[in-house]
Amino acid sequence: MTIFKRVSVLISMILLQATLILAQQPSQQGEFLPIDQLPPEDQLPAAPLLIAAYSFVLVVLFLYIVSLARRLTSVQREMDRLDANIKQGGRA
Amino acid sequence: MPKWFLPLALVCGLMFAASPLVIASADYESTMGLVQKIFYYHMPSAWMFLISAIVCGVSSVRFLVTGDHRHDRTALAAAELTVLFGLITLVTGPLWARRAWGTFWVWDARTTSSLVSWMISWAYLILRRYGGPGSENLAAGLAIFGTANVAFIYVSVNYWRTIHPATTVVPKLPFSMGFPLWFCVAAFTLLFVLLLKLRVRVEEQQARVDELYLSLDDFGR
Amino acid sequence: MMRVAWLIVRKDLTVEVRSREIAYTTLFFAVSCVLVFAFALVRDGRAPEDGAAGILWIAVMLAGNLTLGRTFERERQSETLRALLLGPAPRAAVYVGKLLGILALLIGAEVALVPLVALLFQARLLAHPLWLSAILVSGTVGFAAVGTLFAAMLVRARSRDVLLPVLLYPMTVPVIIAGVRGTAALMQPDLEVGVVQFWLALLLCFDAVFVTLALWTFEAVMTD
Repeated sequence: MTIFKRVSVLISMILLQATLILAQQPSQQGEFLPIDQLPPEDQLPAAPLLIAAYSFVLVVLFLYIVSLARRLTSVQREMDRLDANIKQGGRA
Repeated sequence: MPKWFLPLALVCGLMFAASPLVIASADYESTMGLVQKIFYYHMPSAWMFLISAIVCGVSSVRFLVTGDHRHDRTALAAAELTVLFGLITLVTGPLWARRAWGTFWVWDARTTSSLVSWMISWAYLILRRYGGPGSENLAAGLAIFGTANVAFIYVSVNYWRTIHPATTVVPKLPFSMGFPLWFCVAAFTLLFVLLLKLRVRVEEQQARVDELYLSLDDFGR
Repeated sequence: MMRVAWLIVRKDLTVEVRSREIAYTTLFFAVSCVLVFAFALVRDGRAPEDGAAGILWIAVMLAGNLTLGRTFERERQSETLRALLLGPAPRAAVYVGKLLGILALLIGAEVALVPLVALLFQARLLAHPLWLSAILVSGTVGFAAVGTLFAAMLVRARSRDVLLPVLLYPMTVPVIIAGVRGTAALMQPDLEVGVVQFWLALLLCFDAVFVTLALWTFEAVMTD
């Protein structure tokens, strides 16, 4: 595996651990806001929002890193192919 | 890749892995409770959004002035990161706002100007992708205009609406909240540098491949 | 340099007066735009509050987009832009000339649009004509300054028709905010001059900064 596949696998393993750690925290309901802050029919539990926010960040970063790694390996492959061609003294 | 890349990448990964623990140890904020913890990712990504926009603008100026394509590659990489961090900011913000302000989106000065600046960076990427040959110069011009426009966008939207908490929150943070924040800022900054380097590297390799193709064409004739 | 710019303006006007193509199409498009808004928004014979200001400016920006596209399309077809750039005229003069031509077209369209919008939406647009003209002209200058540069930049690009609005609209957000808010402030029964002056000042600053920026970067981005 190239170095970038290795790095992305490592980072994804770390991220997976982090998500597991976060999920294992005792499920805490946010302190409910005093009633004059939100309309009463609208008391949202905060935990889903929090988890959604953090998961979103991690997923987006992960996807971007994976896409970068893929682009880099494909360019690298093309470069190696061209190098091999040149060594053989041939055309592209 | 330079020697420092892999060790820094490991440090960055570890910092991100540790961040939930660090954040969990922070005190709860009195009025917003649990959901305020989104702040520890939302603020650093907002700052990275701003920093990558500035890097893009400065590189574009240097590119137009010197014609050196390295600056162009940096500008393109920075624009992608602007879109990335902008996306994170614009999604985590509303998720926080839903609980803190009661609604996902408000048309206030900072949110709206962030949205508009984000759209300008999207426009930069679209131009680079679909503009055909010669679009590097055009995109550089766009980036410069976009950077110059930030003040105007902010002032006009600000006078139009305002509800965002003031920027004075950060200096007054108690240590229990300040430490997680700066920890996350460090992690995000490291991430930004690493991603920028990676992305520029992709462009550099692509440029070398293109050169090789061109030289092969000449050779083959 | 102004002499060269003036020559370019005269050339454009002469061509335009003969065919009147862009002027008519722009005007017609702007009017149909306003009509579409009327059908969409007028309910029970009444328009939404402050709707007229927004509709006026949206119609101007949409029509302006078309005008910019058409003006440079014409240049592209006869390769005259390249000829202009290859000639000894300073490039900034080319920019200023095209800008003035486009301004003339857009302001002409606005002269027709303002009474129409005032009529269809029962808006007191003509209550303070001097302030209104100041806001309209400075806003149009801001929009046209950025638009002329982008349209000229895109002349040789692929997908230029769709790229122009994609690039132009986010960039001219301050113009539309200031223009609409300024015009809406003018329509209030008791005029607050301070508010109108603020928006006008913002527009004038925008114009100054972006015309200057365009003059600086025109040379660098038109490298073809």
